[in-house]
Amino acid sequence: MAERQLVQGNEACARAALAAGCSFFAGYPISPSSEIAELLARELPGRGGVFIQMEDEIASMGAVLGGSLGGRRAMTATSGPGFTLMQEHLGYASLAEIPCVVVDVMRGGPSTGLPTSPSQGDVMQARWGSHGDRATIALAPGNVAEVYTLTVEAFRLAEALRTPVAVLYDEVIGHMREGVQLPAPTAAQLGRRTGPIAPPSPDFLPYQANKAGVAMVPDFGRGYRFHVTGLMHDERGYPMSDHAQVAALLERLERKVAAAVPAVPPERYRLDDADVVVLAYGIVARTARAAVDTLREQGVRAGLLRTRLLWPLPVASVTEALSGASLAVVAEMNRGQWAFEVQRLAGGHVEVSPYLKAGGSVITAEELVEHVLFATREGVGA
Amino acid sequence: MSWRIDVRCAGSGGQGLALAAVVLAEVGLAAGCEVALTQEYGPEARGGASRADVAISDSVIANPQCQVPDVLLALHDKAWRKFGAGVPAVRQALRAGESVAVVDRDLVDLAPGTPHVLALPFEEVAREELRAKVVANMLAVGALGRLMARFPAELVEHGVAQRSPAAFRELNILATRRGWAMMDALLEADATVLVAAREAVGGDGAAEEVTSDAGARA
Repeated sequence: MAERQLVQGNEACARAALAAGCSFFAGYPISPSSEIAELLARELPGRGGVFIQMEDEIASMGAVLGGSLGGRRAMTATSGPGFTLMQEHLGYASLAEIPCVVVDVMRGGPSTGLPTSPSQGDVMQARWGSHGDRATIALAPGNVAEVYTLTVEAFRLAEALRTPVAVLYDEVIGHMREGVQLPAPTAAQLGRRTGPIAPPSPDFLPYQANKAGVAMVPDFGRGYRFHVTGLMHDERGYPMSDHAQVAALLERLERKVAAAVPAVPPERYRLDDADVVVLAYGIVARTARAAVDTLREQGVRAGLLRTRLLWPLPVASVTEALSGASLAVVAEMNRGQWAFEVQRLAGGHVEVSPYLKAGGSVITAEELVEHVLFATREGVGA
Repeated sequence: MSWRIDVRCAGSGGQGLALAAVVLAEVGLAAGCEVALTQEYGPEARGGASRADVAISDSVIANPQCQVPDVLLALHDKAWRKFGAGVPAVRQALRAGESVAVVDRDLVDLAPGTPHVLALPFEEVAREELRAKVVANMLAVGALGRLMARFPAELVEHGVAQRSPAAFRELNILATRRGWAMMDALLEADATVLVAAREAVGGDGAAEEVTSDAGARA
């Protein structure tokens, strides 16, 4: 077994990007994500990569899309305020099918909020931050080792599905150091970007989808002549407004990201006979796991569903976890974001009692235990 | 029975407390433990009192953050007031002997009769004996290593060596040994301190074993 090293979350992210073959980073440093840019600024130029510090996050995202269209594995890293500015170009990337990875190390918001305190407040921004029915993928690592593996996975998904992939974690995970091994990814874990099979020709269709619903757009500079636009487009890439074609395009973009669901399965902990199901992700899932153990000791049949995929919503895992439960507790560090989705899926059949904490500190196991005990007692009394 | 120790290293910017915490975490790693290190990153960490927390455990660390550390190291009065004397929960834990504080004797202004505070002259020894004020943090690492009584002295020294630039390696190891011996003498001299230390760090008799070991070395 290789020796474990003491590695910071943000460092693990940057090292994952390098291991995944990222060779283009454009960004604007912001707490608590800055170490990612710092490390890549040091490492990328010597490896034939490009690091650009742009004037802001709007331009950063634009540069990332350009780098990606040029054939690079491209990424940026930011926090909530920067993520907000990136939303317009993220919508563009989704529609124009441009692969890229965006890391959002979440801090307290709205606005510039709490620059150095943890939060999980960008969950809905990752889903609906850009206008229109944008299909999105967002991953949520829960420890330093997973920041590494899920950043690698983010690149694989982005390239395979030709879409932006967000990696969301909070300030505590970003800044904490843990003992981890950072194994080099296998070829399968890296994946690759596949170009079109057809040679360049006047009839070439850059936005013709394959069976997986992915358009194999070629890299610029390979001899293909094609058009990229943020307008609704046909298979040639030219603007169109045919209602049926637009509907089909939107449907296809949503269908293709569903491939992320089986690729990023949840962690199920003591769920088999669970009466109380705690649902959590990121840093909170760690304390939720401890809370589940304490609750079990106190005779409450509790279990944890730790999702590592926020979007697309892993509907089957959530509904399956809820199926035998009488109470679901969504614990998150915001005013209720993922909790809404769980409530929607519970559909009134299972009582959902969210435990929400926004303000800049991590939910502790003790307060979660107390919440569950209170909620179960209340349930019995009612 | 699984165990966990939370150590908070606090001081003023530039005293090298973050490095001390990194060394302790790496010692824990080398010993096969789970570790998590968190640091204060806000504007308050610039120039003012700052802290770095290390959690070391034999099992998975759920919450990397702690409310009340088992061991509070404070090398500066600002840090002592911010993370020790000024925090009711910490004061209470110290009174109850659930936590123990290790402070610089000359840089921290202790109220008379503050219980379970081990005051050692880290900076003075660094300055006068080792002729380098900057190694006070490594003296503290040695002292904490001895206090925690979880890891052999060699492992702590190795951890220090790993993180030391070549020019400082020898001096840092010397400082670590000196700090270890200082704590050892303090524990030897005062049985009540030893009992409190064992209570705070959850010692299981290991504290005494290491004492005899280090006694031979010092």
